[in-house]
Amino acid sequence: MRSYVQGPASVGESSQLPLWRRAETIDLVYVGYGLLVVALVLASYLLGALGWLPHDPQAMNVGLINAAPFTPGHLLGTDFLGRDLQARLILGIQAYFLPGLLAITISVVAGSVLGILAGYRGGWSDTIITYFDNLLDSFPRLVLILLVIASFKPDIYYVMVVVGITGMPVIANLIAGKIAFLRQTNFIEAAHALGLPAHTVILKHILWFNCRAALVIQATLGMAEAILVETSLSYLGFGVQEPTPSWGNMVQAGANYFLQGNFWPSTAPALAILATILGFQLLGDGLNNLLEGKRGK
Amino acid sequence: MKFAAVRPVSRVLARELAVTALLLLGVSAVVFAILYLAPGDPLNVLLEGQSPRSELALGMREALGVPRTWYGQYAAWFGKMLQGNFGNSIRTGLPVLPELARVGVNTLYLTLGSLVLTLLIAVPIAVHTAAHGDTAGNTAATIGAYILSAVPVFWFGYIVVYVFIHKFGMFPLISGTATKQAQAWLYFLVPIFVLGTASGTLSEVIRHLREELSRVLAEDYIRTARAKGAPVWRHAFKEGFLIPVTEIVSAKIPFLLGGAVIVEQVFNWPGMGRMAWQAAQDRDYPVIMGIALVAAAFVRLGNLLQRVVFTAVNPRASKE
Repeated sequence: MRSYVQGPASVGESSQLPLWRRAETIDLVYVGYGLLVVALVLASYLLGALGWLPHDPQAMNVGLINAAPFTPGHLLGTDFLGRDLQARLILGIQAYFLPGLLAITISVVAGSVLGILAGYRGGWSDTIITYFDNLLDSFPRLVLILLVIASFKPDIYYVMVVVGITGMPVIANLIAGKIAFLRQTNFIEAAHALGLPAHTVILKHILWFNCRAALVIQATLGMAEAILVETSLSYLGFGVQEPTPSWGNMVQAGANYFLQGNFWPSTAPALAILATILGFQLLGDGLNNLLEGKRGK
Repeated sequence: MKFAAVRPVSRVLARELAVTALLLLGVSAVVFAILYLAPGDPLNVLLEGQSPRSELALGMREALGVPRTWYGQYAAWFGKMLQGNFGNSIRTGLPVLPELARVGVNTLYLTLGSLVLTLLIAVPIAVHTAAHGDTAGNTAATIGAYILSAVPVFWFGYIVVYVFIHKFGMFPLISGTATKQAQAWLYFLVPIFVLGTASGTLSEVIRHLREELSRVLAEDYIRTARAKGAPVWRHAFKEGFLIPVTEIVSAKIPFLLGGAVIVEQVFNWPGMGRMAWQAAQDRDYPVIMGIALVAAAFVRLGNLLQRVVFTAVNPRASKE
């Protein structure tokens, strides 16, 4: 049942041209934009962690509420309490960055282990893991998260553990499919014939040589998911609470002024969410097309 | 459907039904495990101020008929559930299952409607791209779908509400409380529009259908069909269209149900998602358990339908 479709890129691997010459322009644009977003997020995270912000994110200025962008002193304007939006947007990255990394780590590590068990061992472990994957895929992620919130507590790290666990099946399937593909090409048989121990074959020949690109791609897409979940939960009121900023609760707080025509305080964080999620998704898809050759042609 | 295909389908159907039953059993076990691992004991509420480990608590358990072991508790809970007893809501005291049935219909309208809309937008783009390659218009449409899928659905909801109030003078935009009956259908359509366009499923439907269809169009049998002048679309329909569409739709049902939680919150739509939000606020776990079970059952049902279509179209699948 597992299948892995190897794209044409690996066929043309003997091509002497460097990757960016062989690639399609649109994929390079995707990856370029994605890398820009990643760099911005990383830099903003560090700025927020060190506290190097253009303004005090909690300082209120009641004389200057819901200010438009490019107001003197406030590059991106202010929110409904006159707090600087730029500083709050930068600080909002703290809400999802580390939790998102936790979720990615869980799904990549545990998903790889499951995928290797299913693909390399096969047999019963394959059946059990397929069942387990289907079981996890049965729950709408947000509903499962709400269930965990209701029974434990609204903590972002609990939530991200759920996100990590529900992200495992995709990676497990990918790795198992890849191993099935490598078996067809006698790659694994050949590695065994060299007399290599199983752990070398798995870690070096399967994971490192053949799966690292796919895992990076999945991690990138996983970050997009984590941001989506975090902002959605903050919007619903289960994530980071005011006055600590998160992009989700900023959209929510600004929305009260939306119908009066004050779009900006809610739109600025929404655009940040849009640009960031788009960046991680395009980076993932662009890398997928470049490295795995999966453009539907 | 030819008669030759009927027998394998029934056999596969039986197997898929068994798998679905096993998975639903697993779903109930997961939900139970989360609740079992969660801190706190409902008995503490009844015995406030007294030690839960005391003789009194034990006596209370005996009196209420709470089994002592976890498997006893699971069996008792599962048995009640089979009889349709999902417990009572802590907040309202009403039984969970009838309440879920009442609001679940609204969520069904919302998700099915948005699914239809997503397909109406995605299918033409995907088919056109697969047939004609990456023209400028196709690339623009694909990028547009990417952007639309990354738009936070909660913010997009406000935009749509604003546009409707200021351009069409509709207020209040809260479903169910429409005062002007003539416009009731519009109140109904706006949330469907928001979920259908911005839930993130749009770009994935396009991508999956485009990849599968262009793969099938490159197959030898399509080239043969083309060479002998047979209608290509009729040959490519089953493998290149029907199967990928059902696959992606069944895979996206959980995302639609998750997106419904947010859209229902934005529009005050009286559905399961809003109920789930309320239940999480109140830590009303019988309700959220019921919602998780019903949602998972929907997902499994969609998956079962997909398997049936797959087997019906592709009798070879029954031999796997």
